[in-house]
Amino acid sequence: MAAWGKRVFLAMVFAMMAAPLAIVAGVSLNAKKRMFFPPDGVSLRWYPEIFTTSKWVEALTNSVVIALLAGIVAVSIALPTAYFLWRHRVFYAKALFAAGLVPFALPPVITALGMLLFWGEVGYVGKLWNIAIGHGVFLVTLPLVMISLGLEAIDDELLEAARTMGADSRQLFATVILPMALPYMVAGYAFALVLSMNEYIISFFLGQHATITLPVQVLASLRSGYTPTIAAVAVLFILLAVVVFGLIARFGDLPKLLGAWTTKD
Amino acid sequence: MSETAGSAGQGGMGAATGVRAFAAGVVGPLRRFPFALYPTLMLGIFFMVPFVIMLAISFATRTESTYQAGFELTHYARFFSPLFTTHLWVSVQFSVLASALSLLVAVPFTFFVSRLRRRPQVVALVFVLCVLTLSEVIIAYSLSIVMSRSGGLPNVAEWLGIVERARSWYPSYPANLFGLTFFNLPFAVLVLYPACTRLDRELTEAAQTMGASPGRAFFTVVLPLLERPIMAAFVLLFVFTMGAFVTPTWLARPEDTMMAQLITNQALGRGNIPFAAALSVFFMVVTLLLSLLTVWLRRGDRTGG
Repeated sequence: MAAWGKRVFLAMVFAMMAAPLAIVAGVSLNAKKRMFFPPDGVSLRWYPEIFTTSKWVEALTNSVVIALLAGIVAVSIALPTAYFLWRHRVFYAKALFAAGLVPFALPPVITALGMLLFWGEVGYVGKLWNIAIGHGVFLVTLPLVMISLGLEAIDDELLEAARTMGADSRQLFATVILPMALPYMVAGYAFALVLSMNEYIISFFLGQHATITLPVQVLASLRSGYTPTIAAVAVLFILLAVVVFGLIARFGDLPKLLGAWTTKD
Repeated sequence: MSETAGSAGQGGMGAATGVRAFAAGVVGPLRRFPFALYPTLMLGIFFMVPFVIMLAISFATRTESTYQAGFELTHYARFFSPLFTTHLWVSVQFSVLASALSLLVAVPFTFFVSRLRRRPQVVALVFVLCVLTLSEVIIAYSLSIVMSRSGGLPNVAEWLGIVERARSWYPSYPANLFGLTFFNLPFAVLVLYPACTRLDRELTEAAQTMGASPGRAFFTVVLPLLERPIMAAFVLLFVFTMGAFVTPTWLARPEDTMMAQLITNQALGRGNIPFAAALSVFFMVVTLLLSLLTVWLRRGDRTGG
């Protein structure tokens, strides 16, 4: 395989991954209420429907509120957990950290069922908070791993310097550690936010047809009959991901966040 | 305080030792870092307790529409019924095939991406992340457009004269397998990415200066070094695929129902909560064992991670 063979291979894989996205975008432009590709006439009329039809507005609002809250829940759990392990390398801190890795390793349907049974016993079901807390706990792994990466990157000499200058552990946290961990917290929040927006099965189990999120609404609409609005919603999702990850890549060190060993050329 | 490790007394019984170990392991660290109480409670109440409840319910007695407290093993006994075994076997098939197929593409792809210069590499990563986070609902839907009669490949096949009349390609076994493979692909890339970046660049360069083509260098130098990370990635992808719900709902035939669908059908469709709970407990134990396997595989990672 020569060097051009490598390029052709890369281009083919990219094209394969991009093809369905391009097709969805194309379908969303259909002028008539049919699922044609290439589109039969071009129109943008399905996009405003997301913001004017009540079921889509409701689903969109739910999804956005849940994602914003879930991100806060996830980061608020992740920050003390990561800091605890970084400061005190005791067994308890390691166990807590490991517990934060488990939600992401389990098939989400199990988590969804467990949480549904829990809220059923509590007697508080189908509410927005069920899903927000559920997503927050389910997605805690991402900010946890990222904040840990950020804390590991703090220079020991910097901490030492601050200590010699008389900073106590609270000042040290507020003036050195928190500012240095902040970009990783923001990135972890953004990852949790995007994944929460896209999550289906936990939302479906916990929503109980009372609180409906965007992916749940998309699947329900697909079952009841097709409209190009569904494709328009899909395009909205793609745009959200492009914007969020584009911003992270622009202002942060994306390869490092994803675990790259070295980021130099 | 009597709970702390130092002053817990010298009680010689097993229970006392347990209490003392708990005091030393939990109360001590919590006193040094009280903020750890919040994540402990959040993960404990909203993640651990649900699993304990689920475990209890898996032994409960099924009633007309819900369950009542009890202890019976009937739900676990149903694991020997064809309902369970056929769907488990189907899920294992799909998961093995989809994981292997996605790795076949992801291994060379990730390696080449990790060798790109920084700028194109970041662009590639953003792209992969966008596909990764995209809702399973939307991926399954767009793939179904590609495979539908009016929207895509079947039309092209008719136009090319490969088939006489375009028919929808889904729901079918290959459609679901393709969907799962596609869905796994970006995940596989991100799982392999750290190991690929750790590979010593000089190794492949040395192989190439000595006259090996990039392809030959990949097969003789890179692949053997990546053996452990690839095996770990396979296990992770296997677990990931076993949990697939939307893709098989949309692209698979009813006879190819997978585990996550079975659990959902039992819990929400048929209202057989204890059986769904028993299935989940089984599923969870298998998953946790497999996750431990990946930890062990990574320990022997020769890229040095």
